[in-house]
Order: sequence, then structure tokens, then C-alpha cells
Amino acid sequence: MRNFLGSLGKPTLIFFRHLGSIWKIFMQTLYWIFIAPFKGQMLKPGAVFAQMNLIGVGSVPIVALVNFFFGITLAMLTSYQLKQVGTQELMAGLVGVSFTRELGPFLAAVVVASRVGSAITAEIGTMTVSEEVDALETMALKPVRFLVVPRLLALVIMLPCLTIVANCVGMLGGYVIGRFNLHLNSAYYLKLTFDYLVLKDIGTGLLKSFAFAIVIAMIGCYQGLTVSGGSAGVGISTTKSVVQSIMFIIIIDCLFNAWFYFV
Amino acid sequence: MSIIEVKNLVKIYDNRRVLDGINLKIEKGETMVIMGGSGCGKSTLLKILIGQLKPDDGQVYIDEDEIIHMTDRELDVVRRKFGMLYQGGALLNSLTLAENVALPLKEHTKLDKRIIDIIVKMKLAQVGLVGFEDKMPAEISGGMKKRAALARAIALDPHIVFYDEPGAGLDPIVAAVIDKLIMDLSKKLGMTSVVVTHEMQSAFRIADKMAVLFKGRVIELGTPDQIKNSNNPYVQQFVTGSLEAASISAKDSTEEYIKSLVEGT
Repeated sequence: MRNFLGSLGKPTLIFFRHLGSIWKIFMQTLYWIFIAPFKGQMLKPGAVFAQMNLIGVGSVPIVALVNFFFGITLAMLTSYQLKQVGTQELMAGLVGVSFTRELGPFLAAVVVASRVGSAITAEIGTMTVSEEVDALETMALKPVRFLVVPRLLALVIMLPCLTIVANCVGMLGGYVIGRFNLHLNSAYYLKLTFDYLVLKDIGTGLLKSFAFAIVIAMIGCYQGLTVSGGSAGVGISTTKSVVQSIMFIIIIDCLFNAWFYFV
Repeated sequence: MSIIEVKNLVKIYDNRRVLDGINLKIEKGETMVIMGGSGCGKSTLLKILIGQLKPDDGQVYIDEDEIIHMTDRELDVVRRKFGMLYQGGALLNSLTLAENVALPLKEHTKLDKRIIDIIVKMKLAQVGLVGFEDKMPAEISGGMKKRAALARAIALDPHIVFYDEPGAGLDPIVAAVIDKLIMDLSKKLGMTSVVVTHEMQSAFRIADKMAVLFKGRVIELGTPDQIKNSNNPYVQQFVTGSLEAASISAKDSTEEYIKSLVEGT
């Protein structure tokens, strides 16, 4: 029993130590975003726009593709099930609500965590092992300001935008089935969708995507800044970054849903 | 007072005393070479000198400021007084050479962009890289990277420049060019240089003073001639690079050395 508790205790301590370090970097990031500009140390819009282009614009095709096919799949599966009770038309509202509340923000975040979170860790990790991060520190330039702030800002701006794209394209996938399989009129399909959608669905979805963006940015940057063990270490940290981001996205998603719809 | 003074520096990793009471004084304008085999603690010492690592005990004074107990913000002020040349150059790969050199100037001064451009050109000219301003670090050779990194290190005209293995990974001619630059900075501009290396030829070429580290201690300190004529068997062995030293049999010395590396004692 003692051994069992001991084996649980050490990983738990390590987990909270990592969480504490991520929190510390997050607080420093907030300082550079909200307080430092009032002390004359301005944000670097050029670096933020560059990251927005890399993170956001570059992710549009893959986010759209994944959500389009997921929209089709969801529409096919739900209309198959609803056919048995003769309410296939409800599929339109179900796809709309599912995407705005859950699937749009979730799938966009998972795609971005895989595509962007890994790239952030690999880039900052390579900079760490090649002493570029140390060099910034030695030049009295803060790595958090130079590396973390532009990535966090770019993600919190672009992930909600990508979520809107995901919502629209997912519903388009549902429309393809509604129009060509169920032979519903386009205007009628739209009416069915909007009848069931409320502003809260869209708002909560976007709020979740905002939280997911913070998770992806902070875990990606933290894993990059703490790489050790050369190029092999970069590989390990990149894997950790994606796995941990997706894990935390699922946990936070669950907590948000409980908060919005159950408590 | 010396421009750099180290008093009783101790650093312990996993119960191993990597630095075991280091005392060192470096005078203004002097080139101090810190030598020693792998694992002797010289990189740890350098990291503590530049404020990247905190020791377990002891003091470090840079320009009369004790840096060990400083806050991050206070340390940043001291950091502007020195430059650092990393082993691989550590240029930011996403910036051109000119942007790399301009970075500390843009961040720490209020100089006009045109003035910064002129200073960048001057610094790159000082290291022989005129015409390479727009090159990315990935497009140039290892020697050029180190020269560009040196230009960045001296961008703010620091009093002190630290060098971590400046000749590592370079062919002897390029390494000699880097040595010449270090000597020029020291002799012509009066900069204090602290060089960590284990390359003997380079060390004897540039040093005003040398410190030999072994098992976390300074076992010999003196001018290059004093080091060459040292009676310490380890120093002799290190300087000549032989397997056998005067007072240590090849078997004892190599086995002891390997043991020290493996066990970290």
C-alpha cells in the first residue's frame, strides 16, 4: 500500500511542479502583454502578425478539410438514426448545435495542437538546444517576451477565427447530405439549422476556443523552453507537447460543458 | 578592485561538488583563459559568471557588483556590460546577420534606425563580414557564424566579453582568425576577455593569464610561461596532451581520468 501511494505521489508532485512552472510563464506572459506596455516596453506587432499568419492562415485548409468531412459523417450517422423515427430533418439542427457547441472548437483545437503546438515546441526547443534562448537571456532580452508573447497572442486571436471557419464548414458538410441525400431545399435547410441555434451555443464555443488557445500556446512554449538532451530531447518534448495539449483540451472542454450546461 | 572577482565558489549537482571553492581575479583589459578537461567544471563556472546559473555558495563580483544575490532586473543591468560568444554562435536563425547584430542595440538603446544601421555595418566590418548583412545564419559557414556572433556580442561596446570554446568545430586557420579577433578586441579596445577552452594552441596564443581547473578546483594559475613550466603533473599532462605525465603512470592517470568522468568525482 505504501509503495503504491509512493508510486502515485512522485508523478503527482512532478505534474504539479510542471503545472506551477507553466503558470509562472503564463503570469510573465500576461505581464508583458498588459503591464509592460505601460512601462514603455511595447508589444511587437510585427512578430504577432507573422505568427498569426503561420498559425492561423496556414491552418485554414486543414481545419476546413477535417471539419467538412466530420460534418458529412455526423450528418450521415444522425440521419440514419433519425430515419427510424421519421425525423431526419432534425439532422440540420443537430449538426448546427453539435458544431457550434462542441465539434467546431474541439476539432479546430485538436488540429491546431497537432499542427501548431508541435511546431512551436520544435522551434523553441531547437532554439533552446542551440543556446539561442540562453543568448537572448545573456543579452538581457527576455525569452518570454520574444518567444511566448507573440505565439500566445496569435493563438488567442486566430483559434476563435479558425473555430468560426470550422463551424461553418462543418455545417456545410451537413448541408451536402441534407441537400443531396435528403433532398432538402437550401433555404429550408438553413431555416432548420437556425431554428435550433442560439447565441449561447456560438458564444460558449468561442469561449472554449479561447481557453484552448491558451493551453496550446503555454504547453507548446513551456515544452520548448525546457528541452534538454539535444535533438532527441526536441523530439520527445514535441510529442509531449501534442499529447498534453490534447489531453488538457479534453479535460477543459469537459469542465466548460459542465459549467455551461449542467451546473 | 579586479573587474571580475570570484570568491569561494561552490556548485553541487547530485551530491557532486562540480565547483569546489573556486577563487579567481581577472584584471581590466586582461585575457584570462580557463582551461580544463571535460567535466572539470569550466562550463559551470562560465554559466555562473554570466548569471545563467546560481551557485550553492560563494560570490561573484563583476565591475564591483555582486551578482549572485541580484534580482533578475538588477542582473539585466549588469548583463549589458558584457557580451558572450557561445560555442555554436547562437545567432537567432530567423533573423539576418544585420538584424542579429542590431537586436541588442534596438532593445537597449534609443538610437535612430539609421545610426543603428551604421553601427551594425561597423561591427560587421570589425569581424570581416562586410557584404554579408542580409545573409541568414543558415547560409554561412561555422567560422562566419562565430564572427557574426562576436559582432553581436560587442554591439553594445561591453567592457567584458566571455567566450565559450571559441575555436571548437573550426579548422585551424579559421580558429586562428577568431583568436586574432579576440586579441584585437583586447589589445586595441581594452576589452577584458574570459575564454573557456581546452585547445592548447589557441589558449597559449591569446592568454595573458591562465587558470587550469581540475575536479572543480583551480590547480594552477599564472602566465602562459608559468603554466608551461608548472610542476603540477596534471597541468603538465594537460598541456602536453600525453597519456603519461611525469609523476603519474599512464595506467594510473588515464584510469583515474576515465573514472572521474564516469563517476563524476
